[in-house]
Amino acid sequence: MSYLLGLFLLIAFALWIKSIDIGSSWQGAGLVNFSLGFVLLAAYMSAQILRIAKIPMISAYIFAGIVAGPYVSGFLTFSMVGQLRLIDDLALSFIALMAGGELHLRSLRKRGFAIGLNIFMITLAVFGLVFAFVVFMGGQFSLMKYLSSTQIMALGILLGVVAVARSPSSAIAIISECRASGPFTETVLGVTIVMDVLIIIFFTLALTVTRIILTDSGIVNQQAFIILFVELATSLLIGAVIGKGISFYIDRAGYDLPLFLLLTGFGITKASLWLGHFMEDRFDIYLHLEPLLICMSAGFTVQNFSKKGSEFMENLDRGALPVYVLFFSLAGASLNLEALRVCWPLALSLVGVRAVGIFIGTWLAGTITKDPPINNRTAWMAYLTQAGVAIGLAQLAQRQLPEIGTYLSTVVLAVISVNQIVGPITFKAALHKVGEAEKR
Amino acid sequence: MKIFFGLLIIIFLAFSGYHLTFRRFRLPLFARLFYLTGTEFLFLGLLLGPQFLNILDRETNKGLEPLSALLLGWIGMLFGFQFEIAKLRRFPFEFLGAAFMEGLITFGWILFGIYGVLSAFSNMPEHIKIVLSVTLAAVGASTGQTGLALLSPNTVARSPGVIKLLTYISSIDGLIALPIFGMVFLFCPQFFKTFSWVGQLKWGLSASLGLVLLYILFLTRHRKEKELILVVIGMAVLTSGTASVLHFSPLLINFFVGFCLVNLSSEKERIFDILISVEKPAYLLLLVFLGVNWRLDSPWILLMGAGYCLCRLLGKFFGGFAITRLNPEMNHYPPQLGFGLLDMGGLSLAILLDFQQGFPGHITGNAVSVVLTAVICNNFINFCFLDRLLKKGE
Repeated sequence: MSYLLGLFLLIAFALWIKSIDIGSSWQGAGLVNFSLGFVLLAAYMSAQILRIAKIPMISAYIFAGIVAGPYVSGFLTFSMVGQLRLIDDLALSFIALMAGGELHLRSLRKRGFAIGLNIFMITLAVFGLVFAFVVFMGGQFSLMKYLSSTQIMALGILLGVVAVARSPSSAIAIISECRASGPFTETVLGVTIVMDVLIIIFFTLALTVTRIILTDSGIVNQQAFIILFVELATSLLIGAVIGKGISFYIDRAGYDLPLFLLLTGFGITKASLWLGHFMEDRFDIYLHLEPLLICMSAGFTVQNFSKKGSEFMENLDRGALPVYVLFFSLAGASLNLEALRVCWPLALSLVGVRAVGIFIGTWLAGTITKDPPINNRTAWMAYLTQAGVAIGLAQLAQRQLPEIGTYLSTVVLAVISVNQIVGPITFKAALHKVGEAEKR
Repeated sequence: MKIFFGLLIIIFLAFSGYHLTFRRFRLPLFARLFYLTGTEFLFLGLLLGPQFLNILDRETNKGLEPLSALLLGWIGMLFGFQFEIAKLRRFPFEFLGAAFMEGLITFGWILFGIYGVLSAFSNMPEHIKIVLSVTLAAVGASTGQTGLALLSPNTVARSPGVIKLLTYISSIDGLIALPIFGMVFLFCPQFFKTFSWVGQLKWGLSASLGLVLLYILFLTRHRKEKELILVVIGMAVLTSGTASVLHFSPLLINFFVGFCLVNLSSEKERIFDILISVEKPAYLLLLVFLGVNWRLDSPWILLMGAGYCLCRLLGKFFGGFAITRLNPEMNHYPPQLGFGLLDMGGLSLAILLDFQQGFPGHITGNAVSVVLTAVICNNFINFCFLDRLLKKGE
């Protein structure tokens, strides 16, 4: 009751503040600050209220973000969401550090076969089904009516690959909220994180093939693949070095670790971006180090190659709640509901097809590895959530293939909007069903 | 991009520097004075600012305004936490009176001194003279504790009574200056045209009521530490934002919030732990933010900085003299007690940053530069005067 009252009061207060004329830049900055505080508190209270209905907290944060965002109430405008991007990046690198730290080498070795098989099966089934659906049924939807068959095929390949992408941040948040532990959780986490690396390779491959299909004159660019592998390897290596640095800091100093880790994660993200721009501007070399991979690798190194793993995770966990609340509520505010409105029949169909593909993939993998039947029946529910990586890939395709990029990005944004809302709920339910929730 | 990098560099350096300066290193005396007071962060800000590297250029600074507002809110709340009535009562009542009187005398001395100089030598509009005089007086009247914190245990053991009084005064003497400074926001150019006491009072009361109700709702039940961190950060950001939107001082509003929390909330100790955990990094960040706008392009600034420092020194001396000589119960304290109160701490700098944010402009830039020059002078003379005072007080 107190949460409901608090939320009501907070909204009334926010509406009142919003009605004030903004005259100076200082007041403008104040309004952004106010909005940040409002979203943080409103999302937290919404989560406490929706907890009664057993809805995961991150779904509530996302929901609060959607309501506060530019498409519903307009409390957070597009420009505010843009200005708060800094916070978003900060939170994401923090979550990536956590994701790496959650991976234990011992359990990875133990579940290595299951993880590999799940990745293979899910990729095959999801890609195959989504591709087939778009190619054979795409023309039935108004959005794709005017595309040529070649363009529909190219779109099918890209949508098929993007459909394979998952959201490590959501997975970590749900696992952390449910305090889940066990072989099912380890497999889901392993698949999600490894997939996050592989998807970049798959996407580069798909982009090359698509370009060949669309232009009829393309050739497979081997150099692009070499650069990609160099980038991934360098990212992993830099992450390992930073991980060693973090464990050294914990060992020698160890003060104010949550803040130190937050800044490290943020530094990695921004330095990677800067290096990319710098190399392109000065040397005309396109080098894109993957900040999330660096952070994950750093977290993984601290957890598995130092004695400070538990201290590291404890400190990350201490500051995790504000980070999750901000990240997911801003993610909610950034969801493109306009795209969903434009192509909801196609988006819902793709969500369904993707879910079927995930079910087939996980069921086959589970059957081969002889996992308990309940796990095999439930596993698909853990892989629905999608977020940042998929959006990033769609935007990349939009820049590189303008003839179909807009269609791709609209459909992907719409599909993600649905998966981001439904995914956390099904994942939480899956963890409870297999009996791995509240095991830590 | 520059926004991100600017933010990253300053936070990282402030944070790492905090550990270098406050935790481990033992340096030679001069270097210690420089490092232990955080002076290097002023120079770091200067280096990153438009005059040198221009990493923190005008645009970047604008982008970082929300962060500086949050910083002000955090420091304001921490200052409010100094005023726990139950703890203040444990000290003799004369201490409280002495702190108020010292703060008031120093404030008045600097206020009239600056206003007199501005009236004699400058033709700026009257309301700007008032704003400048009040701000510089408020900055000067507040005292920091770095010098006292750095005294050796032997020195502390030699004059425990004097040090106890100095510590007490320096922790609360900003109480007079801060609310008066908060009033200068009523002179802000945007508000000056359409200012109405009734309207401003109405806004202020409505906002306060809303914030108080929210705090009550949030802090009535015991929360896990993670949730409490979230609530404290959220409320600090929200309160700072509200203050900025309504053109009040975030520092002052958060001071009131801190004061209410420490006296009314059952969670006060847990909240204080959260706030204090980033106190030093916040202080060093303040120095960097101020250093960015430090201008040393005119010798007049150095001269005026020295003049302001001298004016403040005299104000502190008169304040200290008055409290030890007018009150018979304080007669046993040395008359030059004010020489132990020269340190300019976090509150002084926060007031300066608040002023810089609320009243951007050329005059503000010059005023900030003058005060920052005085801060450097103060950091160096503070130790000599404190040392002399404690030797005489033995």
